[in-house]
Amino acid sequence: MSLTAELTALLGPGRVKTDPLERHVYARDAGMRTGPVETVVHPRTTDEIVGIVRIADRYGLPIVARGAGTGLAGGAVPTEPAVLVVLTRMDDIHEVDAASRTAWVGPGLINLELSQHTAPLGLHYAPDPSSQSACTIGGNVATNAGGPHCLADGTTVAHVLAVELVTADGEVVVLGGAAPDPIGLDLRGVVVGSEGTVGIVTRVLVRLTEDAPATRTLLLAFGDTADAAATVSDTVAAGVIPAALEMMDGVIVELVENWIHAGFPTDAAGVLLAELAGHPAAVEAEAEILSDIARKHGATSVQVAADAAEAATWWKGRKAAFGAVAQRAPDYYLHDTVVPRSRLVEVLDTVNEIAERHGLEVMNVFHAGDGNLHPLMSFDASVPGTMERVQAAGDEIVAASVAVGGTLSGEHGIGLEKRDLMPLVFSPVDLDAQARLSEAFDPTGLFNPGKILPAGSRCFDYGRPAPAQ
Amino acid sequence: MTVETIARKFGHLEVEAGAPLTEGHLVLAPATSEEAAAVLDAAAERELPVLFWGGGSHQGFGHRIQPAIVISTERMNRILEWSPADLTVVAEAGVGVADLATRLMEGGQTAVLPERPGASTVGGAIAAGQSGWGRLRYGPIRDRTLQVVLSTGDGRVVRAGAPLVKNVTGYDLPRLATGSFGALGLITRVALKLWPLGARAATVTVESAEKALATAYRPLAVLEENGTARVYLTGTSAEVEAQAAELGGTVVDGLDWPESLVGETVLVIRVPASLTRAAADRAPPGWSYQAAFGVGEVRLAGPSAPAAGVLDTLREWTTGVGGAVVVERAPDTLYEHVDPWGPPGPSLELQRRVKAAFDPLGICNPGRLPGNL
Repeated sequence: MSLTAELTALLGPGRVKTDPLERHVYARDAGMRTGPVETVVHPRTTDEIVGIVRIADRYGLPIVARGAGTGLAGGAVPTEPAVLVVLTRMDDIHEVDAASRTAWVGPGLINLELSQHTAPLGLHYAPDPSSQSACTIGGNVATNAGGPHCLADGTTVAHVLAVELVTADGEVVVLGGAAPDPIGLDLRGVVVGSEGTVGIVTRVLVRLTEDAPATRTLLLAFGDTADAAATVSDTVAAGVIPAALEMMDGVIVELVENWIHAGFPTDAAGVLLAELAGHPAAVEAEAEILSDIARKHGATSVQVAADAAEAATWWKGRKAAFGAVAQRAPDYYLHDTVVPRSRLVEVLDTVNEIAERHGLEVMNVFHAGDGNLHPLMSFDASVPGTMERVQAAGDEIVAASVAVGGTLSGEHGIGLEKRDLMPLVFSPVDLDAQARLSEAFDPTGLFNPGKILPAGSRCFDYGRPAPAQ
Repeated sequence: MTVETIARKFGHLEVEAGAPLTEGHLVLAPATSEEAAAVLDAAAERELPVLFWGGGSHQGFGHRIQPAIVISTERMNRILEWSPADLTVVAEAGVGVADLATRLMEGGQTAVLPERPGASTVGGAIAAGQSGWGRLRYGPIRDRTLQVVLSTGDGRVVRAGAPLVKNVTGYDLPRLATGSFGALGLITRVALKLWPLGARAATVTVESAEKALATAYRPLAVLEENGTARVYLTGTSAEVEAQAAELGGTVVDGLDWPESLVGETVLVIRVPASLTRAAADRAPPGWSYQAAFGVGEVRLAGPSAPAAGVLDTLREWTTGVGGAVVVERAPDTLYEHVDPWGPPGPSLELQRRVKAAFDPLGICNPGRLPGNL
């Protein structure tokens, strides 16, 4: 039998696709890279995935698992002909335990649908990537996805208590659990953020978060982004950690306002969107503190959303920022780096300088509260030489972030995009240790090979060999 | 190289006076990650078992170890970088948890490590995965360990993570090292995420822990100690006053944390949060307990080694609900006939391979983890 015949025997003809269109669709994620696809499969159960792993292994083909493909770093783009395991049909909510605030869900469940499902219980799933109406929980687990509300509540790994994993041996193992501090090594923590390189996650136990009894949303405008950044630093220094604290520069504000009419002040050089969530008395007091700090730093306007509708409009504007960029140029490239919060202003200046030097327009919309930058370069890829300039400017932006003590990615992941930049932040010994960890799960490189770590990371010169078995 | 020459090389050939350790080993106190790695490399060459020692507070966890060498972190005791504006601190492993808390308090911040740390060190608390009671609000210590530097079991110095509050760059070794009980190597340095201490704090004694948990919004902790329930609040003055009024109990200013449990044996029950009451109700007669509501952790202290039946009965229940009962400390005799962790769970083979990736010869705290890893 052939690979396709075996997979078809397992799944039926409707869920194994080899036609050129299907292979083309699954050759890419939301970024700009593409890779070779051998076969696309759409499993519905853990048992089916065990079967797929065993078949692919026998044919010597790697497996790339994916959700909705909203990633930007190439994490779901194969580097060699691969079996694409599309998990979007495994979208069940298996079990919700309201008392313990947990839920077992399938990896294909859409992020936002989980929060909608638990809303009647006064609970939500905290990580909220901008793509939350399309991206899946499994994809979020793979990338350790973030979002604006990760400032107070942490990224995906803080909200995943356990995973069911199909390993390279085709075994099914549950890592972690609903009880605190499961005994033994925290392998769950290794799986989250491993970009599909250590196994396939087939069920996820997520932690649900209590809805805040009160929220206040503030829109603060500044004549200078440095004043906005200083407001961010002073707010944290004053002991106030907003649920979200987002910054948009003047270019973004203007583009969003043109499109969404969110009521953003278009004459501002920088706008902060802050959400305070908590006890009514807390958000009241914290809104005062935040407003005072903004005024002290010369805010040109300080607005508190009059009601939930106004707050929702502002958030709609923030989340529409990437779409709004299309007004400017047909293509854009969105970066994701982290710097210490205290270095935001100088790095923003450097980013602008780098873009200018490469003749590119850059705009910034990002998670200011945790120093997570998202410089966005807009351009026309059909102009010869442009992509090279975009790439060069991007690499310089990453290097500038690292130079002030920052790092490559805060929430998008490494994938292919930043794989070869890993030596900027890790020594050969550090990379070798990560490669060994990955190898402990997947000794033959069955799962999503060629991601996260640059070629040659595994170095056999370090340390001591294990004794012969 | 013999252990004596290793000791001479680093100038510390001294056994901690009165330390409750087995005889016949050396205590070495390297001053840097590189020195610790060199000791481990030499130990690996001879396949000598090594025990890591911070303050000694968590040595009761896990299986007993007969080491040839004890590596103490006492000389790695500096707070290296504290950036209040970034809410991060970088500290060497041997810094006392109490000393770190005192220092951070000067800037109105906390690392949310155990509130009654005794002699425990930052490295020891991270290695043992010990979160403060404030984990109800701020999450477990794993979620706040941003970077670790490890001297591995085969003599490498591995750095992972970064002192940044948000980071998905590479595999998450800091989380793996947290709670690893030295299985991968010695944690020599960590970066931790900090939280601001509120302007005001209060402790409210209430009638019912369950009712208080349902009433209060994100309290620091809801603890019940031997029948007395307390809620711990921090935040702005307005919030603390409002929440205290809503709870309707007796309010005192500040955080009046329970003292450490007294007793020769301390057991920890870990269950899904909704079963905290059921776990507390299982405290054997004559034992004291501290139950963390909303977390699912109940700590029990007894006067002496429990009858084997006590642990078995508790484990029969916790295994069925996806939990565990862990021995935190006990008389040595208990470890001879009782597994301090209970059943190691289904991922043991994977855990064995992960340990071997860092400690191929199995010299680092050998056997300490579940399944004698």
